Amino acid sequence: MTAMVTMHREAQVDGGQPNAVPPPKGKLRRESRGVRISSWIAVVVFGAFGLLPIYWLLVTSLTPDSQVFRYPPSFLPRSLTLDHYASLAENPDLFRYLVNSVIVSVITALASVIVSAYMAYSFSKFRYRGRRSLMYLVLASQMFPQALLLVTLYTVFSAYGLLNTYTALVLSFTTFTLPLCVWMLKGFFDTIPDELIEAARVDGASRMRTIHSIVLPLSAPGLVAAGLFAFVRGWNDFIFALTLAGPHKQTLPPGLVNTFVGEAQTSWPALMAASLVTSLPVVIAFIALQRYLVGGITAGAVKG
Amino acid sequence: MSTTLYSRRQLLKMMGITAGAVGVAACMPSNNSPSGGDDLDTTPTNFSFASWSLSEEAPKPVVQGLIDSFASQDGITISPVTYPYNEYLNQLTLQVRGGQFAGAVQLDVAWLGALAALGKLVDLSSFAEGRGYTDAALKAGQYQGKQLGLPWTIGAIGLVANRELMEQAGITEAPATIEDFEAALTDLKGLGNGIIPYAASTKVAQLKDILAWMQTFGSPLIEDGQVTIGDDASIEAVTWYKRLYDNGLIAPDVDRFDARALFSQGKTALYDDAIVGKSAVLRDSPDADLASKLEPWSRPVVATGDDPRALLWGHVIAVVEGDGAGTAAEFAQWATSDEATVVDFFTKLSLPPTTDAGLSSSEVTDDAYVSAFTERVTATATPNPFWEYPQYAQMESAIAEQVQAVLVGSSSPADAMRAAGEAVQALV
Repeated sequence: MTAMVTMHREAQVDGGQPNAVPPPKGKLRRESRGVRISSWIAVVVFGAFGLLPIYWLLVTSLTPDSQVFRYPPSFLPRSLTLDHYASLAENPDLFRYLVNSVIVSVITALASVIVSAYMAYSFSKFRYRGRRSLMYLVLASQMFPQALLLVTLYTVFSAYGLLNTYTALVLSFTTFTLPLCVWMLKGFFDTIPDELIEAARVDGASRMRTIHSIVLPLSAPGLVAAGLFAFVRGWNDFIFALTLAGPHKQTLPPGLVNTFVGEAQTSWPALMAASLVTSLPVVIAFIALQRYLVGGITAGAVKG
Repeated sequence: MSTTLYSRRQLLKMMGITAGAVGVAACMPSNNSPSGGDDLDTTPTNFSFASWSLSEEAPKPVVQGLIDSFASQDGITISPVTYPYNEYLNQLTLQVRGGQFAGAVQLDVAWLGALAALGKLVDLSSFAEGRGYTDAALKAGQYQGKQLGLPWTIGAIGLVANRELMEQAGITEAPATIEDFEAALTDLKGLGNGIIPYAASTKVAQLKDILAWMQTFGSPLIEDGQVTIGDDASIEAVTWYKRLYDNGLIAPDVDRFDARALFSQGKTALYDDAIVGKSAVLRDSPDADLASKLEPWSRPVVATGDDPRALLWGHVIAVVEGDGAGTAAEFAQWATSDEATVVDFFTKLSLPPTTDAGLSSSEVTDDAYVSAFTERVTATATPNPFWEYPQYAQMESAIAEQVQAVLVGSSSPADAMRAAGEAVQALV
């Protein structure tokens, strides 16, 4: 792929030189057709790489139990059933897990965005002693193994009576989402010209007013990207949710494992059906917000 | 007065060392001697019951029924606590260690040592007396001479065969010796059609199964605290296993779940499992008649007259000290030894009881598969000697990694077993 892009660029550069002899038209057409075919092959290969697991998830969820482990495995199912989807309705726990996941993930996303926005603004727009050290300290908190922090957090939450509450989950998830959100938003705020902020100040806006009315609206894509990142982190977490949430506040990942994975057997089709159904809210959220996500992540990448 | 100046780096280093020391101190058991069960207050009191079965489709209603039944007898509330099987021990350890849990706990027999090391399990010796538990079952719940668990269901992990495939290969009875066994596998390979003669575990996660084969070849694994892996018998066992592997008699990348899947599809004639695996195999099989073809086999021996080896398997109920521990101990006793209760439990889940009365009930004796399994496999089963150590999982991993190295050809059996022995010894 890289070679292909390089070739393409070389072709463009050569074409731009005044003394270069233009290649014959037929050769150019053959080359551009070759590039196009290669591009399509790459798209298909990478697309298959990304979509094949989803296809397998869907097929498994529709396969009868007796066919799931058919050997050798078949790419196309022989028989299909909706029984596993129908059985989901009979399990009220799944809805509870879903509601818990939504509550915890949304609050985690909001908390992460609100706190990290102010932290990132401070790192981006103020100059003070220890700023750089603080920034790296925030990043360093990402370096600890999560299992290590789990034991510590468990002890702390236990001492404060926070175990088996949403608060424990939100606080623990935010611990992990905050550093990346801060760095992501700092990159975004760096791209906002200081002159714009100064102009607002000259017009009489207070510091907070400037942030709320000028900086944050301009940073909407970055805020959405950071929020989505935090949401997904909260949505996907298994081990913290399993350990800190207790039976009534359990979220989807531990809930699904608890329901479908056993000592001697795993109900793969039912697990896949439940995973597919419960993924839908996130998929829909992503489709709705994906343009912000892409823009938000890349905005801070190049300082302009 | 002198003032010491520290650089930022030095301060950070000191903070790191302090945090590490606090962490290590926090992990050290404060008191690892179990409390006695004689002085437990048995006034009906609410307690918690932790069980992975409460999150599994088949046993959940049965176990919940037990809880409801006992709770209504005593007019108390039993709070269920459940985690998935694979995460259960970690979560329970954290809860018990943090003082968040008191009450009864379902435990795999392999986990008793790990949880006992926390020093919070109650000695249930007085609750085990006169209840008719079999000696073998009682031993499964003992740790360092104390009865820390009451046996709920006890069996073994042994060989399970598909009689139809055996007959197709001309094998009419279970081979008694290793030599006959290897010959039978070769005959099975001759069936073709992609049949794996023996779906032995070859993935690291389940390679601990090879310990039974090492014992079969005569290695005690550990004696008086001295690890014997690396002795001639263990090397011979791994050399033999490697030969099966090279000859295609066992297959790469197989664990228990894969083996069950292959067996249920009729793609292997033989695999290792406990009785509990039967329901999984039948459920996933397209062969409605597979139940009638299941046949437990004694593990072959090196020389006629040797005892066939099998790994003990089972569940016990232990009690964690704290509020309601006395009532929890009574619950454990009732659930594991009340005759009507254990027979009903067996009828619903096919998990063999642990009392003489339960085992001799018609419901159990009429079950041909369980009877055969008990007679041929469970009868000579022994616990894994490494279960005595809280680090048993690391020990099994250390051995499995070395066996894996032999199977993929990156180490010789002698070198690998010597390395495994040293690694395990370091963990003792």
